[in-house]
Amino acid sequence: MIDNFLAGTATLFGDPFTIGVFVFGVIGGMLFGAIPGVSMLTLAAILLPFTADLSPAQGVMLFAVIYCTGTYGGAITAILFNIPGAPENAPTAFDGYPMTKKGMAGKAVGAAVLCSAIGGVASALIMMSATEPLAKWAIMNIGPPEIFALVFFGLAVASSVGGRTIWKGWLSVLLGLLIATIGQDPVGGINRFNFGFSDLAAGIAFVPAILGFFAVSEVFVQAEKKAAGKYEAPELSVDFPSITELWAHKIAVVRSILVGFFCGILPGIGATLAAFMGYGEAVRWAKDKSAFGKGELEGVISSETANNAATGAAMIPLLALGLPGGALTAMMVAVFQMHDLEPGPLVFYNSPDLIWVVFAAMFYANLSILFIGLLETKTILYLLKIPFQFLAPMILMLASIGAYISRGLVLDVMVMFLAGIIGFFLRRSGYSIPGIVLGLILGKIGEQNFAQGMQMVHYDLGTYFSRPICTILVIAGILTLAKGLYSAFAPISKETA
Amino acid sequence: MKKLQKKSMSGIVTALAVAGFSSIAYAEECRISNSSMVKPGGFPDRALTMVVPYGPGGGSGQVAAAMAEAVTGLTSVGINRDHKPGGSGTVGMTAYMTSQADGYTVLEHIDDASSAHALDSSKPNPAVDLIPLVISQVTFSQVYIRTNETRYTDWPSFVAWVQAQDGKATIANVSKEGSMERVIMKFITESSNMTIQQISFDKGAPRYGALLGGQVDALFEQPGDVRKFLDSDNFKPILTVFGERPAAFADVPTHVEMGMDFEPLLRFRGFYVHKDAPADRVDWLKWAFQRAYCEDSYQTYNDSKFMNVIDSYRDTDGAIELINAAIDQYRGVYKEMGLDVK
Repeated sequence: MIDNFLAGTATLFGDPFTIGVFVFGVIGGMLFGAIPGVSMLTLAAILLPFTADLSPAQGVMLFAVIYCTGTYGGAITAILFNIPGAPENAPTAFDGYPMTKKGMAGKAVGAAVLCSAIGGVASALIMMSATEPLAKWAIMNIGPPEIFALVFFGLAVASSVGGRTIWKGWLSVLLGLLIATIGQDPVGGINRFNFGFSDLAAGIAFVPAILGFFAVSEVFVQAEKKAAGKYEAPELSVDFPSITELWAHKIAVVRSILVGFFCGILPGIGATLAAFMGYGEAVRWAKDKSAFGKGELEGVISSETANNAATGAAMIPLLALGLPGGALTAMMVAVFQMHDLEPGPLVFYNSPDLIWVVFAAMFYANLSILFIGLLETKTILYLLKIPFQFLAPMILMLASIGAYISRGLVLDVMVMFLAGIIGFFLRRSGYSIPGIVLGLILGKIGEQNFAQGMQMVHYDLGTYFSRPICTILVIAGILTLAKGLYSAFAPISKETA
Repeated sequence: MKKLQKKSMSGIVTALAVAGFSSIAYAEECRISNSSMVKPGGFPDRALTMVVPYGPGGGSGQVAAAMAEAVTGLTSVGINRDHKPGGSGTVGMTAYMTSQADGYTVLEHIDDASSAHALDSSKPNPAVDLIPLVISQVTFSQVYIRTNETRYTDWPSFVAWVQAQDGKATIANVSKEGSMERVIMKFITESSNMTIQQISFDKGAPRYGALLGGQVDALFEQPGDVRKFLDSDNFKPILTVFGERPAAFADVPTHVEMGMDFEPLLRFRGFYVHKDAPADRVDWLKWAFQRAYCEDSYQTYNDSKFMNVIDSYRDTDGAIELINAAIDQYRGVYKEMGLDVK
């Protein structure tokens, strides 16, 4: 492995043009990842035709690098302005933005930079050491029943995040689940709650909903404070987290690497589920769950470690089996095909050089997140000094562009503003915005896998629970729910007594 | 079923006429197209927009990219692809129908547009409300199993095994209400006297992963989409749903040979423009897209996707014929299935 890695490194850095492609991918990924709406996918789609003129290794490597750095890029705007660059950065905003409001933006961004790099590098190392066996294990053992069980397990802690009471937390999650049912059902393709609008047949897209619930509602909240003379600009702090602070979260980092890697390896799942599950596990194992959603450093650490840990993992089913884990890895298939190659088992035998250049590039791309991230962060933090009256319209404009550009539908802009208005009133009443978004995203993934899983086990719960991973995850989820309910009733019992 | 089969017999004739016997004529027509054409009134003097109602990574996204590249290579006119996925293509179609009919915006779509119109006539009819520029991919479906499968190795043993499972065997496909996949699976299961649980996966990767990992027992798919698994010897076809054995799959029996008497519905992908677009612009677009089909870059792409196994080319008239035949077929089948045909 070491020899192959060194050979890949030599190829990557042995040619100035290849180095140029690598640097372009690193910076382009970060930039496009950071701007809401124009995600790394936008950049990849623009670059796709040009990869025909690159060598196969350069083309695939460019996309792999964009994937790594683009996943990190969205964290910055999520933390500073409550605008997640992509759905996989949404959980980062849950605690990252409250930290900014508390004057701890430097700590949040510093943790995001470091943990993205750690998650990505760890993932790349695992990917290099065991791509083929891991891919085979995943497809043999994880199917829709297990993915549903995983989502159920993740949702079980969702009520703890951000709500004033556990009941409001649950209502928020249920609202998210309800929104997730809008559009065609995932099995029969029957329209639900679309009220005759064809555009709603595809359901509520993640990006406009997230932008609305986070960015727009936040602008409304701050505008209300400004009007009432209670607005306080976030304090600018460029202090990074200390080694001691980060070391205190070492278990969270390791846990998030494992969770993120596991989610990333599943075909068609990818970094979004990884980030939400990583965040959910941080909440589950925390001593003080109520701190999450209010500016808990571990929330940022877990989410950013997990989503970058998914990047290397998502390459495993792609390279070993030809199964892309998401939209960007699906585009990588097109890059392979442009050069008469097919990702899959044969590529390891036919083009081992290409594979090791890609592996090496992903390793170094994740490392470069650390160096470039640390260099750029202190400059970026000064964006917080922009006065609210200029910042608010800028955020609304960026969010509107971001909502529109992903599908080119005016409906998405309307959805974004509607979500912003709903989010504004729900926040005033103590409901949880993270809970709604968790419900929406995990609901869509969960419903599809529930329906497929039930068909696979012929609607027989006995067969369902004969699958050990399903049993363990569902029981663990039920126990979490029971513990949450006990905690909710416990204070009432004491008061009654 | 008998009534349906009788209807299907005439349909088979139509399908063969359209898909098989006319192929040489269409190929000739393609080859004799003029290699250049004067731009009418300077049209187009800027890049075209191509609305693609599916994501960039799937079959439609890829064919749109390949055709856009070929048209640009031929004419030096850029094409911006605008992906509007969702709702089995309805979101993109709706958006396209509200765009300006000036010829600058074209549409990529698949046979789903025809089946959607067959089920609900208020939906756009691709042969009437749009002008087909070219249909550039026509393909058939197959049933696949894992190559290392030991429980069954061919179609007869697969049917016997499924029958013994008492409805508990599974097949992965895209079995949305009224889809080509669901309709063909209905024919297959009825003709073979078997019950099989269809598991619908809307994305390719989980669908193929389900068969690779043994989560399902078989897969219903088109050969171009699983070529890499065929080349790597992970999957093998055990049934071809087409009137005759394509040369590339000469050792795989057809559904007709296996005693199934129904018309094979085909998957087709093509490019369209508004019916109200100026006629001279439409003529130029027809030339550009039909000629681009013959470009080396596009043919290489089609070859890589098994899209030249049967004739994939339909010019405007051929496309209208294919679409009308498909709509008639689907409408008859939907009524037979008891669906609410509007």
